[in-house]
Amino acid sequence: MPSFLTGELAAFFIFALLIIGGAIFMISFTKVVHMVVSLAFTFLSLGGVYVILEAEFVAFVQILIYAGAVSILMIFGIMLTKHEEVETEQPWTKQETLSAIGCAALFGILFFAIQDTTLPDATDFDPGQDNTLAIGERLFTEWVLPFELVSLLLTVAFIGAIVLARREEGK
Amino acid sequence: MEPVYVQYAWLIPIFPLLSFLLLTAMGRSAQKLGSMISVVAAFAAMTLAVLVFVERLGGNATDYTWNEWNWLEFAGYTLHMGFEVNNLNALMLVIVTLVSALVNLYSLGYMADDERKATFFAYVSLFTFSMLGLVISSNLLMLYIFWELVGVCSFLLVGFWYYKPEAKAAAKKAFIVTRIGDVGLFIAILLLFWAMPGNSLEFSAIHNAFVGGEINEGLATWIAILIFIGAIGKSGQFPLHTWLPDAMEGPTPISALIHAATMVAAGVYLVARTYDIFLASEVSLSVVAYVGAFTAIFAATIAIAQNDIKRILAYSTVSQLGYMMMALGLGSKLALAAAMFHLLTHAFFKALLFLGSGSVIHAVHKQNIHQMGGLFGKMRITAITFAIGSLALAGVFPLSGFWSKDAILAETLHEGQPILFVVGILAAFFTALYMTRLYVLVFLGKPRESQDAHESPAVMTVPLVVLAVLAVIAGVVNLPGEPWLAGWLHGETLVEHANWLVIILSNGAALAGIFIGYAMYRKPANTALEASQTATEDVKNGLYRVLQNKYYIDELYQTIIVGPYRWLGNVLDTFDTYVVDGVVKLLSVVTVGIGRVGIRLQNGQLQTYGLLMLFGFVLFAVFLAGRRFF
Amino acid sequence: MTINLATSYLTLAAILFCIGLFGALTKRNAVIVLLSIEVMLNAVVLNLIAFSKYGIVPSITGQIFSLFTIVVAAAGAAVGVAILIALFRNRGTSDITEMNELKH
Repeated sequence: MPSFLTGELAAFFIFALLIIGGAIFMISFTKVVHMVVSLAFTFLSLGGVYVILEAEFVAFVQILIYAGAVSILMIFGIMLTKHEEVETEQPWTKQETLSAIGCAALFGILFFAIQDTTLPDATDFDPGQDNTLAIGERLFTEWVLPFELVSLLLTVAFIGAIVLARREEGK
Repeated sequence: MEPVYVQYAWLIPIFPLLSFLLLTAMGRSAQKLGSMISVVAAFAAMTLAVLVFVERLGGNATDYTWNEWNWLEFAGYTLHMGFEVNNLNALMLVIVTLVSALVNLYSLGYMADDERKATFFAYVSLFTFSMLGLVISSNLLMLYIFWELVGVCSFLLVGFWYYKPEAKAAAKKAFIVTRIGDVGLFIAILLLFWAMPGNSLEFSAIHNAFVGGEINEGLATWIAILIFIGAIGKSGQFPLHTWLPDAMEGPTPISALIHAATMVAAGVYLVARTYDIFLASEVSLSVVAYVGAFTAIFAATIAIAQNDIKRILAYSTVSQLGYMMMALGLGSKLALAAAMFHLLTHAFFKALLFLGSGSVIHAVHKQNIHQMGGLFGKMRITAITFAIGSLALAGVFPLSGFWSKDAILAETLHEGQPILFVVGILAAFFTALYMTRLYVLVFLGKPRESQDAHESPAVMTVPLVVLAVLAVIAGVVNLPGEPWLAGWLHGETLVEHANWLVIILSNGAALAGIFIGYAMYRKPANTALEASQTATEDVKNGLYRVLQNKYYIDELYQTIIVGPYRWLGNVLDTFDTYVVDGVVKLLSVVTVGIGRVGIRLQNGQLQTYGLLMLFGFVLFAVFLAGRRFF
Repeated sequence: MTINLATSYLTLAAILFCIGLFGALTKRNAVIVLLSIEVMLNAVVLNLIAFSKYGIVPSITGQIFSLFTIVVAAAGAAVGVAILIALFRNRGTSDITEMNELKH
């Protein structure tokens, strides 16, 4: 084994491959449901990456919410809006070409910016014994106000979604 | 003797200028009053000119100059404007104002039925002002200004009947062809300005510089020839003679005024005024003499074959001006005097002939001499005065034309130029020939039944009589053996011996021309059919046809000069349409194109807007982050 | 030779973000556009987590921030789908190119 190939690096590469593959498949599939499924796959792999990054609780939340709730939500959305089952293969339109160019340019900028920054090795990070415990400690002492506000936000979103999506009376 | 009137000589051009301004201001409302104003102004100018002339006769030889008005000041140099009166000027003033006054009077009758006669008189007044200004200018630049102004007036007057396309074309031709000559004069002025000590263009300074030999001969030759080119244009010498016959489209009074007596004489006057430059260069004198001589015989041959009464007289003018130029080219004081003498007599008898032809045209409403005949009985005064004018032009003893032509021919022998003498004699012969032809066809023979001609009103015949009298007696001022005019012009007594050979030969040539002309053209024909038959027989003769078509010079100019110029104009027009306009159109196309692109961006599609935001952000980031590289 | 893993995570997040952006700008089905937006938000979360471990001041605050981000993203997705359903009921189509009321 080469000296640089740590376990972290190997795991990262595998997960990265899965993530990117899932995303690209999402873009290139024609059937909408396939797109959602591949994206769920991406979400799962992201959870894996978070574990590598010693953020287990976030990984847990990711899988629960994204791979679970959001993916199901999207499938419900597809179900309730009659959609073109199959999107026909079309040659790239102008919008697509330009978007590709734009995105490539943006990636170029970001990559260049990332390369330029110097980041220290992970020596000072102290995740604590139990990630959940550490998060909970901080969340309910230092960040309790945002926490409450977020719960308010969720309530509002929840009510708003119901109001928006219900059928009008007498229609 | 203190000069009393001379210092008011500047008023002489002011009278016709006031007349012009008044007539322009009054416009169409005062037709009759306007004509009277013009006539009065012309006679006022003439009176003052005569007074000035009489004052100069007193033998006071110093020239009066006033050039105090600083017109333009720049870079340490001042351009003055002013006037100068010397004997040459005084003579010209009288000639111009006299003929102008008579023509104004004549026009009262000739233009009586014209709706725009106030405009006509306004133009005539403007012309008179310009010509008089030209005559009394004290420096060459001022002369050039009036020179151009005279050309403009000629344009306005030749194109007076602007609704006739021939008149419009003739006016343009007159202006453009003389303009070609004017370029030469302008270059000469520039050269003089550069070469003269103190950059002065005053005639007195020119006289001093060239007499003193301060300018080298090569430069003097160039300047002189360029000045002569200006004179060629204005005086209708070969090769710029083509405008003068066409200018006959204008009303006959102005043919008399401008194209016989005054404007065309401006060329001769110019050469006389700058004579010191010519005297400094032998080459230029030869050029002048030979061009003049060639023109004299060239135009005379064309005149034999013309059928329009005014065109014959026009070519005659060209020919006689050639005589004057030939005389000027001889280079002696007596020659200069002879040229001016001929200018004087020519002004009288040519104006007389033109006004007489105007009287004929006014009566029969035609201009083709083959359609006229037998007018002697119906228009006595016109016929008799016309005969006097013709004989004077032909140079028959003892009329004025004989003395002036004789003076010129005598000088050619005196200066040792036998070729010029022979050319002069031949031209005299042809002159007599074509004038006789004209007279016989128009006035003699049996009148046509269809003609209802009657004599012209007194306002037209009085000037004829006055001019006829002058044409008879004007010869006495410069008799051979008693050259008073020559002496007075130069301020010294000159001696000239009478040359009997010349007298006999010139008279003989004239009489021979008259005799042959009478024999050729006397015919009992009084029907149009016979006249046209004789005419067609003549046309069959090839030489005759060449002469009638003026040696095809106009056609030559058309192919060589006008054609390529028009082609160039078309090229430039295409360039203008496609390149210049194209740039403008390009601008508009680009702007519209940008607009169209802009429209496509506003299509309401969310994803388009998102894409645009992305591009904007990318550009923004590039510029922001990229700043540290620049 | 050591590969600095921090830049790798950030690069991965950048790639994910750009893919999500491409999807948001090109897909015709509105649900898929929402989905692509979720992808973009996920990339942001990944960035946050990476910085919480490898950043200038590594602390657990990054993870807390990422929690909030996930919550807000999910709420947004929910409301978005609700709007989409309502819009579908009105228009009969879920094609995003048909929704061009922003024009003029």
